Amino acid sequence: MEVVVWIGWIGGLAIGLFVILHFWLMGKPAGCSTGYGNVCGLLSKKLTYYRQGEYSNPNNTKLWFLIGIPLGGLLSALGSPDTWHLSFDMGMYEAVLPQSNAAKALWLIFGGMLLGFGARLAGACTTGHALVGGAMMNPPSLLAGAVFFMSAMLTTQLLFNF
Amino acid sequence: MHRFPIFKSAKLFLISFGFVYRANFLALLMGVMFGFLMSHAGATTYDYHAKMFLMIDFQLMEVIATAVVVSMIGVFLLKKFHVHAISTGDEVDFVKKPYQKGLVTGAFLFGIGWAMTASCPGTVPAMIGEGKIGAVFVLIGLLLGTMAFGVLQTFIAHNGQVSDTLK
Repeated sequence: MEVVVWIGWIGGLAIGLFVILHFWLMGKPAGCSTGYGNVCGLLSKKLTYYRQGEYSNPNNTKLWFLIGIPLGGLLSALGSPDTWHLSFDMGMYEAVLPQSNAAKALWLIFGGMLLGFGARLAGACTTGHALVGGAMMNPPSLLAGAVFFMSAMLTTQLLFNF
Repeated sequence: MHRFPIFKSAKLFLISFGFVYRANFLALLMGVMFGFLMSHAGATTYDYHAKMFLMIDFQLMEVIATAVVVSMIGVFLLKKFHVHAISTGDEVDFVKKPYQKGLVTGAFLFGIGWAMTASCPGTVPAMIGEGKIGAVFVLIGLLLGTMAFGVLQTFIAHNGQVSDTLK
């Protein structure tokens, strides 16, 4: 699935304006990974951690924000010249990931687990720490953003070059 | 009990519905916009992640650098003029994520996950919308990882009693 990709600074300008609009409309910083906690709270009533504090009401704006994202992706894909179709092609990653589909799926599930666990341990994901935290010049967020980037770069270098 | 004509009661219903759910509705619209922009910025295309970390193409670096600078100016202006939020009516709350134990460890694990899947929690749903099957597996993993963290925290809160953790 090929989507039209804007020039870097235009995409950045649009996302920067989006962050400001989100502050103005919702009155709080934008965030993605906290919404997955809401989903976990809805999936399991026994999990008290996702049933208290900021998760005490799972049906909140964080959850609806998360529900909106696939619609945005769909709109972007429909607006691109390529027709919408399912694909399991991962571009450059095809050369380094396992060849069989089942092994690739397991690899992605394991990577996703690291993303989910790491995001909760660090407190936020790329959006919350690097983008919005960076905009507010929050020192812990800047540290987390730098570590995200360093460790991802190290792992990608290991994947592609060794 | 008061009875209004059908049009008036329908109008009142819509107004009260909008009043109660406007924050969630606005959040849904914001999510649609976020997914759309992430997709057009190239964050949902696998190759841009690999190219950035292999230092071949800096599309995503340009995007995030411009976005941070633009939103920094916006945050400064919103703070300066004490702007009030639309959905809540209160002054915009610039709540900052605090430093928490395990931030560096968590960030390190997150980075490995980022490199393995070429996606992050914000782009995974957008990728599903684009029809990328790989993102469905990443989503399953994400929920499992988030769930594991919750189970661990519940386990700690119950002083390590397994029987109390998932009763």
